[in-house]
Amino acid sequence: MTEFYGLPNAGEFWHWTNALHFILVGLAGGMAFLAALLHLKGHGEARRYTLLALLLIALDLLVLWAESPARFRFTHIWLFLSFHPQSPIWWGSWGLALSFLTGGLLYLGKGPRKPLTWGLFLFSLVALGYPGMALAVNLNRPLWNALLAGAFPFTALGLALALATLLGSPWARAPLRMALGAALFLALLYPLTLSQEPGATSWRRQASPSSSWFSWDSGLSVRSASPPGRGLWRQLA
Amino acid sequence: MARYAMTIDLSLCVGCAACAVACKMENEVPPGVFRLWIRERELGVFPDLTVEFRPEQCLHCQNPPCVPVCPTGASYQREDGLVLVDPKKCIACGACVAACPYEARYLHPGGYVDKCTFCAHRLEQGKLPACVETCPTRCRAFGDLDDPESPVVKALEEAGRVDVLRPELGTRPKLYYLNAPSKRGLTRESEVRHD
Repeated sequence: MTEFYGLPNAGEFWHWTNALHFILVGLAGGMAFLAALLHLKGHGEARRYTLLALLLIALDLLVLWAESPARFRFTHIWLFLSFHPQSPIWWGSWGLALSFLTGGLLYLGKGPRKPLTWGLFLFSLVALGYPGMALAVNLNRPLWNALLAGAFPFTALGLALALATLLGSPWARAPLRMALGAALFLALLYPLTLSQEPGATSWRRQASPSSSWFSWDSGLSVRSASPPGRGLWRQLA
Repeated sequence: MARYAMTIDLSLCVGCAACAVACKMENEVPPGVFRLWIRERELGVFPDLTVEFRPEQCLHCQNPPCVPVCPTGASYQREDGLVLVDPKKCIACGACVAACPYEARYLHPGGYVDKCTFCAHRLEQGKLPACVETCPTRCRAFGDLDDPESPVVKALEEAGRVDVLRPELGTRPKLYYLNAPSKRGLTRESEVRHD
């Protein structure tokens, strides 16, 4: 039962589909990156993995659409009609869309091969990196930090390479070990990068001699002001 | 251009939730989600007991973390400081929900993110936000921070203590809590009841 008391909106938004999307987008981005590398090397399996990347991107977009409460409002067109480079999701939308476009053209054999391959390489890098960035930009979530953003591409690539290994491509084993090693190394560093309270870094940045009349209670998440005179609230305004 | 802000005098708030009901009615907020809610915590040891009732809502931050993460520009900040959502552009991706440190946003069943607007539609008609107008103890004040005669500035000037939620994040909220019952100011997040 929900009521006026407590913190009623917390957790309303988070469902298992969020986790599924993160796995699928990592797999799709990793596979697109792998396909681009195979095309660059002129590998015989490049076309096969391009098709796999296309299917995974399509599946991820389908899941995103299906779980979106706005799926029948068609507002997603605004992702491509607006320019918001500060938003990792804006980058991700373009990264996935252009990966699909360049990958599709490469699979069909249409258009100039080399520019399309480099295009797929760059766009898949964006698709690989944006989910971690989308988490890391939230300064109020202490677990979602820059290291998590850095680890995401390695885990995503590891996921794609693991699938390639399962599909019987022996060349994927050595890079899989490297990707997993890098991800494990970052995972071991991860606890060292956590702060005890959210925004601890910005707390230090905010503290300045001009606001010295504020009393900071250690461990508290609020700054308390006991101004001795009137008008000091203006420093908060 | 006005710079809107709100104050809530916690020494006057009795946690009656009239503001929350008024908000629900005014803005047709669906069941199960809230633009405005009350958090409470018992303070002290018998016989020196008190309760902190803390109404919470969107703080219309000066540096809103929810705005830059929006991929479509649906979340935006007006010149008067109000942080609003354009439902026609919102894709309900949840980036702003995750970015808000105050859990002030929720997903509207209509397929977009919604939150407190300081009753922007009422401001255009020259009225006060519904929560301010309804409060039976007059613990809320609303107005222009740049107008020395506005109720919000007067409330701030007369307050013995002024707090904002989680100032360490640098969001510079425009909702100020006055005269918190505890000498330490507002209670920390882990101390507030979550039921």
